[in-house]
Amino acid sequence: MPSNTSTRKGLFRLDFSSVQWGPGIVATLIGVFLLIVLVMPVAKVMYVAFQNPDTGALTINNFIDFFNAALFRESFANSFYVASMSVIFATIIAMPLAYFTTRFNFAGSTLIQTLGMIPLIMPPFVGAVAMQLFFGGNGSVNLLLDDYFGFTVPFMEGLNGVILVQSVHFFPFILINLSASLNNIDRSMEEAALNLGSSGMRLFRRIVFPLAMPGYIAGASLVFLKVFDDLGTPLLLNVNNMLAPQAYLRITSVGISDPIGYVISVILVLFSLFSMWVSFLAMKGKDYATAQKGGGGLLRRDLKPWEKFGCYAVITIILLFVLAPHTALGLLSISTVWSYSPLPDGYTLDHYSEVFATANQYITNTLLYAGLAGLIDIILGTAIAYIVWRTKIWGRKALDLVAMGALAIPGVVIGIGYLRMFYDINLPFSDVPMATWWGIMVIALAVRRLPYALRACVAALQQVSLSLEEAAESLGASKWSTIKRVVVPLMTGGILAGFVTSFATAAVELSATIMLVAKEGDAPLAYGIYVFMQSAAGRGPGAALGIIAVVIVGLGTYASHVIIERTKKANGLK
Amino acid sequence: MSKNHQSVGITIENVGLSFGDTQVLKGVNLKIAPGEFFAFLGPSGSGKSTLLRAIAGFGPTPTGRILIGDRDVTSMQPWQRNVGMVFQNYALWPHMTVQENVAFGLEERKVPSAVIAKRVHQALELVGLAHLAQRRPSELSGGQQQRIALARTVVVEPKVLLLDEPLSNLDANLRVQMRRDILKLQRELGLTTIFVTHDQEEANTTSDRMAVLNNGVIQQVGPPMQLYDAPANRFVANFIGSANILDGKIAVADDGQSSTFISEQGLQLTLGAQPAGKASLIFRPQNTRLEQQQHSANNLILPGRIVYREFLGSLIRYGVDVCGHILSVDELHSIGAIHRAVGDSVSLSVEQEQAVVVNQ
Amino acid sequence: MFNNLSNKTVKCLAISSLALAVASVSQTAAAAEQTLTIVTSFPSDLTKVFKAEFEKLHPDVKLEVLKKKTSAGIKYISETAANNKIDLFWASAPDAFEVLKDGGLLQKYSVKVNGIPAKVGSFPIHDPEGYYKGFAAAGYGIMWNTRYTKAKKLPAPTNWSDLEKPVYFNHVGMSAPSRSGTTHLTVETILQADGWGNGWGSLKRMAGNFKSVTERSFGVPDGVNSGNFGVGIVIDFFGLSSQGAGFPVEFIYPPATALVPANIGIVNNAPNSQMAGEFIEFLLSDHGQELLLNPKIRRLPVNPDTYAKAPEGFPNPFQDSSLQSSLHFDLKLSKNRYNLVNSLFDVMITYRMDDLRAATKAIHAAQKALSETPNVEAAALVKQARTLVAALPITEADANNPDISAVFTKKRKKATDKVTGRQAEVEAKWDAFVVANYEQAKDLAEQALSKM
Repeated sequence: MPSNTSTRKGLFRLDFSSVQWGPGIVATLIGVFLLIVLVMPVAKVMYVAFQNPDTGALTINNFIDFFNAALFRESFANSFYVASMSVIFATIIAMPLAYFTTRFNFAGSTLIQTLGMIPLIMPPFVGAVAMQLFFGGNGSVNLLLDDYFGFTVPFMEGLNGVILVQSVHFFPFILINLSASLNNIDRSMEEAALNLGSSGMRLFRRIVFPLAMPGYIAGASLVFLKVFDDLGTPLLLNVNNMLAPQAYLRITSVGISDPIGYVISVILVLFSLFSMWVSFLAMKGKDYATAQKGGGGLLRRDLKPWEKFGCYAVITIILLFVLAPHTALGLLSISTVWSYSPLPDGYTLDHYSEVFATANQYITNTLLYAGLAGLIDIILGTAIAYIVWRTKIWGRKALDLVAMGALAIPGVVIGIGYLRMFYDINLPFSDVPMATWWGIMVIALAVRRLPYALRACVAALQQVSLSLEEAAESLGASKWSTIKRVVVPLMTGGILAGFVTSFATAAVELSATIMLVAKEGDAPLAYGIYVFMQSAAGRGPGAALGIIAVVIVGLGTYASHVIIERTKKANGLK
Repeated sequence: MSKNHQSVGITIENVGLSFGDTQVLKGVNLKIAPGEFFAFLGPSGSGKSTLLRAIAGFGPTPTGRILIGDRDVTSMQPWQRNVGMVFQNYALWPHMTVQENVAFGLEERKVPSAVIAKRVHQALELVGLAHLAQRRPSELSGGQQQRIALARTVVVEPKVLLLDEPLSNLDANLRVQMRRDILKLQRELGLTTIFVTHDQEEANTTSDRMAVLNNGVIQQVGPPMQLYDAPANRFVANFIGSANILDGKIAVADDGQSSTFISEQGLQLTLGAQPAGKASLIFRPQNTRLEQQQHSANNLILPGRIVYREFLGSLIRYGVDVCGHILSVDELHSIGAIHRAVGDSVSLSVEQEQAVVVNQ
Repeated sequence: MFNNLSNKTVKCLAISSLALAVASVSQTAAAAEQTLTIVTSFPSDLTKVFKAEFEKLHPDVKLEVLKKKTSAGIKYISETAANNKIDLFWASAPDAFEVLKDGGLLQKYSVKVNGIPAKVGSFPIHDPEGYYKGFAAAGYGIMWNTRYTKAKKLPAPTNWSDLEKPVYFNHVGMSAPSRSGTTHLTVETILQADGWGNGWGSLKRMAGNFKSVTERSFGVPDGVNSGNFGVGIVIDFFGLSSQGAGFPVEFIYPPATALVPANIGIVNNAPNSQMAGEFIEFLLSDHGQELLLNPKIRRLPVNPDTYAKAPEGFPNPFQDSSLQSSLHFDLKLSKNRYNLVNSLFDVMITYRMDDLRAATKAIHAAQKALSETPNVEAAALVKQARTLVAALPITEADANNPDISAVFTKKRKKATDKVTGRQAEVEAKWDAFVVANYEQAKDLAEQALSKM
């Protein structure tokens, strides 16, 4: 057979038919791109961990030091404990929201799902201040508790505080993935169990939850990873005995050149990759959704009035709780002074007028950067998803792994890596170093958020039946044409979801970008908040800027939810 | 897993059900006898699955009453009804082994584990798949999955067995085998069974009685042969087997004691007392003969011309144009039989007792 | 054929001339307006004012102010040194400048303005080696939230030693010296004034009362303003500007405070070093010094004459006795053990806050019981516990020994450079020592309590 049209052949099979070269070239380009913007900058930073600081020779002594130090062993244990407990609490928060909105007929499901996304968007610095004002040792809740009942609850103390904030912050990852999984369970699966006498919690525990397991594991592992790697929350709660803050404090301390900070980063990355692998193993062979599609649609039940009331009550309590930081942030943004009192002393809109007078450029920059980053992410995400799941190109798994690996890289490492990698290279036609160009910030954001978009694109692609593609090909459509006219349109919902997650989280990203801001005019919103939060008078405007970020992202999320629902309906998937 | 329980009947009284503005069931009445193998037959969208699911307790609560035995289950939760249902796609839980799937219902009923093990084994023996107990559903063939789904349902000894298009996902050979197995199982257990299908052959071969549904209304209830021989209306006649239908009207004689059916082609047929109105004359292709000459007083004779000929194996089917109306005639095929050609002029002859007039 | 070829040539020429045009445009743009790039840790309330005034003075110059945390700023300048685009580094902590100086990242500059004395408080205003210049001073003090102290019935602190009292247990906040250069200077001032052993002793007694050690120096006023903790050890402008923003807070300079200059230095290979010098001159000029009196900025000028224009009650370090210090600040000593002190603070306090707090709580409880029912045996145990808490894993002599502190400062310049020991190794040993001591101190104090 001289012309073999199947693309499921190796790239390096010497078979020069164009259908195989296309994806191959794209895969190579993406591979090179990731090598330059992810692997090499990170390697440049991580290399120090393997260097003997005395001689410069390669060594693993630094790792021996790590495991010999009680503080680091304790930090490791703390990080592990906090990450695990956060997964548990995030599950408790996400489970009812996901279950109620997917299993009961309900007004406002889209709104609930959108509000459930908001906690992911916590602007840096001000978020923690707002949390403290509400839940802190002397925050509103405790002041009121103390006034009326004479006791206080240490929500925000030590590791428990970190667990609380992290679960509230990251539970949407479980919500999104679990909801998607619940939406994919054929109703007959649950009806069969109902028919055999199972109901309520037992039904959920024995049938629904196990079947939703792939989505749950995907979400839970994301929560685990993010909490394990996150340094913002522990730092702002002044909890230092965890790995990520230890790495950060040691890397950024003035004048210290000890490699241990980088050693911790390497350990963070390795452990994150390890837990990604574990979750991959756990998910293996559990892709039930595609295996058991009966076409029966979703089991959605009408609620009796009192049941409806109960559900709304539970949802309202949960939403009030998880949105408390944002409520506090909103109050802070319109308060004159708020200090050691349940509510602010007075209210004003001055902070907003100050922000709009001085900080417009931060907002436009953020929209531009996060928008571009999201765009890059879904293009790369779609391409990588296609290459990994629809071709047999050599090294495709590695491509997937590298792209997902960005999840495991602390932002500060990327930031420093970029400075090392791109500062010596000037932009074409100028003497401006590449690292000071705003585009580099976009790339840093895109790389850091790529894993989110990639997961969404993969999920979307897996729902496009291979036979739809084969139908197009048999009608004479080329590979490109098939992708363009059949695959991508059918993936629209998932791609959009990926865009939103990338965009939303990039809009409030700080750690990598703050390292790379070279001109105030190029600075994004997170930097603006940082600048405001440098002075006592800047707290209100900082909060106002934070609220603006949340509103922008919230509107974007809502709009895309609506669009996703619409395309689902149009594609007859609902 | 034996006939140790009393079979119960099912009574459906004036059951109606709507999805939004669409009325899916419109006042259905039905009595199913204890131990009966009953079929719901109808095209897709006729409401047969909805009716079955209403009996199981799925979907919106219907108006009217559903009784299982003496128990009114209309507004009971599915898990309280003790009816067994087998789903079209089997709905075997992929995260459990065959053993676990079958044990599930017993566990929910808090049966002691030793008893569970025994009964699961018995149920798997009953469907002949005891050796697959440790497999996962994804490792089974379609037929095996079907049997496991059955075993999972009957192991809990439900009062009634509901089968929702259980054979539609199997290939043709397996389907015949499976329907015999299901019937055998049903007879062994004496379980009152409702079988939903859109395939008349399945319904005819298995059921004691069946109900034909269309547009949410029961068209006719009865044993399969009765429905075939005496369809209550045009829809039933057309849906069960092939039928030649001539539309027309009934004219009542002045004395009111007799009436005449007059087809649109002008054919006349004298009938007993019948109400006046639009009606159809129905006769089966295999009861129609091709004649060269026009005689025989007791027969209906229709002149026509052959427009097609199909070889169906045991039969030859001719399409005959009678006044612009194509009627079918089946002749038994035997080796060396002489066939007519397309274009031949023929007369169709039907014995009067083989023809039925139904109101439209 | 020929036609085609020439067409191609024309196209090529057009492209290359376009490229030239782009290049020249960007160059002329640069010539028309000089850009002076400053990396600073100062808030915009301060930079805004100086930027506006300086640009008024030099209309052809555009000041690009880049805000970074001091530590991030140093990282940025050192990571980008090979292709430096930064003219000035402008921040509070002199030690940050020392680090840059050591890294060869600053260039010398001699000030032309007259009238700036050699010292403010005990601290030399300008770097004696000439690499960076002080332009303002700030003093450390105590701020507290009046609503908080009222609700918790805390007395207003007047002196550093007040913060060691049991009444402030779990109410005090401070930044870590490793995170904030000015905090480092405060710590170093205490160590130099009270001596190594006593200095750490009082620091640890104070630290035993800490609610948190914040990661940013601004975290302290932020915490006090919110009421997250009641009392903070802060630099004056944080306290005063919080007051100015309307928060219910008070600020005092305790007697014997540390005055530290805020500095500016020209980055080595600055693209615009001449204009950078102009900016320094502007800061030190009469006009520049007066700007410091702006209530939103509120830093202490280093030119004594400027105080004549200051509002009533403005502290004057050149006259007020509480701001005068007899201490001769040993800059060389401070520099030698800079990282060692930071690391020691983190190991003993920041990272072991819980252990230290637990020990302190036990000691406070025992002490309180002791004051009610004296008991010799218990008193001895409490004394022992206090000694254990105060114990240091390293002697003053060792700490000041450059060979030992080199473990913390080493920076291999060449592959052949050799330093012995690794920081992590040393810290792990300290950590074990400190944790065991705190644990034992807690046990002893509890024993003492049980004896009464």
